[in-house]
Amino acid sequence: MKQFESLTGKSLSRRQLLTGSALLGGGLLTAGLTGCGGPAGAASRQTINFWHLLSGGDGTKMQAMIANANQANAGFKVHPTVLAWGPPYYTKLAMASAGGRPPEVAIMHASRVPGYAPGGLIEPWDLGLLAENGITPENFAPRIWEKGQQGGKVFSLALDSHPFIMFYNTDVAGKAGLLESNGRLQEVSSPEEFKAMALEMQKITKAHGLSFGYLNLGSQMWRLFYTLYKQHGAEIVLTPGKPMEADRDAAIESLEFMASLFDDTIAAKSGDINTGIAEFVRGDSGMLFSGGWELPTMKKANLPVDAVTIPTLYGTPASYADSHSFVLPRQLAVDEEQRKDAYKFVSDVLKGSLLWAEAGHIPAFQPVIQSPAYRELTPQVHYANAADIIAYDPEAWFSGSGSDWQTYFAEHIQNVLLGRDKAVTGWDGFVARTNDLLSRPNPV
Amino acid sequence: MSSSTASRQASQPRTTFSPGVKAGSSLRRRRDNLNGWAFAAPFLVFFLVFLIWPILYGFYMSLTGKSLTGANDSLIGFSNYAEAFADSGMWRSLGNTLYFTVISTVPLVLVALVMAALLNIGLPAQWLWRLSYFAPFLLASTVVSLFFVWMYNPQLGLINDFLSKFGIPKVGWLNDPNVAMWSIVIATLWWTVGFNFLLYLAAMQNIPAQHYEAASLDGAGAWRQFFSITLPQLTPTTVMIVLLQILASLKVFDQIYQMTAGGPGGSTRPVVQYIFETGFTGYRLGYSAAISYIFFGLIVLVSVLQFVITRRRSA
Repeated sequence: MKQFESLTGKSLSRRQLLTGSALLGGGLLTAGLTGCGGPAGAASRQTINFWHLLSGGDGTKMQAMIANANQANAGFKVHPTVLAWGPPYYTKLAMASAGGRPPEVAIMHASRVPGYAPGGLIEPWDLGLLAENGITPENFAPRIWEKGQQGGKVFSLALDSHPFIMFYNTDVAGKAGLLESNGRLQEVSSPEEFKAMALEMQKITKAHGLSFGYLNLGSQMWRLFYTLYKQHGAEIVLTPGKPMEADRDAAIESLEFMASLFDDTIAAKSGDINTGIAEFVRGDSGMLFSGGWELPTMKKANLPVDAVTIPTLYGTPASYADSHSFVLPRQLAVDEEQRKDAYKFVSDVLKGSLLWAEAGHIPAFQPVIQSPAYRELTPQVHYANAADIIAYDPEAWFSGSGSDWQTYFAEHIQNVLLGRDKAVTGWDGFVARTNDLLSRPNPV
Repeated sequence: MSSSTASRQASQPRTTFSPGVKAGSSLRRRRDNLNGWAFAAPFLVFFLVFLIWPILYGFYMSLTGKSLTGANDSLIGFSNYAEAFADSGMWRSLGNTLYFTVISTVPLVLVALVMAALLNIGLPAQWLWRLSYFAPFLLASTVVSLFFVWMYNPQLGLINDFLSKFGIPKVGWLNDPNVAMWSIVIATLWWTVGFNFLLYLAAMQNIPAQHYEAASLDGAGAWRQFFSITLPQLTPTTVMIVLLQILASLKVFDQIYQMTAGGPGGSTRPVVQYIFETGFTGYRLGYSAAISYIFFGLIVLVSVLQFVITRRRSA
């Protein structure tokens, strides 16, 4: 790191190199040495590099928000780089930060920040500079704002919360007599009631009542499990050097309930995430457990669909969710102008995040949520309460969306869901695996 | 014999130069040397920068607690190694790699041999057979993985669809922990057997025809000739193919990562993937370097064993 710093001089970025060479007619070396005070951006637009991992329906919305920001700001141009979701994205972001060539702004899942902030891969946001751009802590729900903090500093700025929810087919539900007079799905409050509802829908579809694909996808199993587990009012606490603290009975009850759904009547015995979505879109089931971000898929299919948070089956309302958040990867040398532009870009996107709601996410910026335009978005408003009952991943350097920890969860739980293992066996195996991780040296 | 005499004669004029020119000749030798080094320099630079330096630096790293986040860079001696030897995750993935190596090497050698022998008995349109056996080898691992992921799909895949016509129940090719590794071996076999096949074919075509003529005059049948002439003549090739194949199989990563990502339940995760996960998604570069060196030691051990066995056999 230090070698790299001394090799490249004070702050030789590509932009400075280019402007420098243009101004000085090829005097590259001189530009490198004096680049710091160069009148960069006076004639040309600064480039703000921005990395994100949104490539589905929300990727197009993000592209539109970037285009809006570019149009509104003559001083800079945001250049997005889209990388594949999960480990490919996070390894590259970490490597780029460690290697001293990160983008100016990036998107991270809020749940992954605890693995990045303490090691110094990202830098905290300056509240004063944010306020200058019209962004204050009061603009965010307390739970979401708090999630962005590490050691009293704000490391991530939430763009949204994106919960794991339940879509339902209003046609199927209507025919099964499960709709209230206001057209919304009847509420259920126990596992038995939920199963009875699914069976009613199954009678209409003749195939299944519920769709949920999970095969070989730890994140998917974890989302449903953690929602149900948190509905018990239980917590998971991960402290390096200590065994995992968890409510074993709540975990086993949640797992047994999940496994009991896959009986080929309520839901298909096995299937991956895409099979599950396809089944629901075909109308072969009445309900789908899925991320709210699948909403564009449903709209495209012209499905008569509504959505709610996962029914509260164990007393305490809870909804697994994560937040796409803006972070500032650590730069070897911060270019103040560029950083100001980055703040401006982020604040523009936050203020324009009504577009983001169309992708199914719940904007984190409260003025957007309170706007009449958002209040008219259905079915988004029907699950907007998820932001109040949000259950983020337990914090540890190894947890979070798309982490290996979720893969380990799948390694022990998949066989439970397939009916090959008992819930106790699967859970105890996962606890042992987690304790092994907790006993290892903490790399951050 | 004849060539060595020739070279000795050729070098004679140099040594018989009068003593007075000795200084000039050593000067010229030095210049020759310099030229030689200059020509070798581009390679040497790459060799040092991209092979020797990483090997040395990697070993140093394995003695530190280095993490991707930059925390705790200090030397910690051999405690990474101690941790690794007690790490069930490493042993399990190492076991998977060895399992893959065993169950892939055997068919990759045998099938290649059979294919080469079939072709060598004189099938028509030899070029077509050669091409179709070798063509898969030219595909990228990503392409091969995609092919097989589709064909193995339990609901829509070609293979289960075909089997269902005979009333055979659906197999979870990549979803069943007991089957997944075999499915990957089948894909790998299709993909890479062409290389071994080509080596065998070339070796077979080098066996002098008079051996077979003599054998058939003595009344040896085709099987007898195969086992008593072809196979023994192929021994050096077999040794080389087995060695290359073991080394290639030990390195397995691409197709597994792309087809199952190590699943289901970690039943196909090779040690290379474990190293990748530990270092890059788990941030622990120092520890993953230590596992790499343990794996490296294993590969060296296998190579040495192989070397010893073949030397004893040829001696």
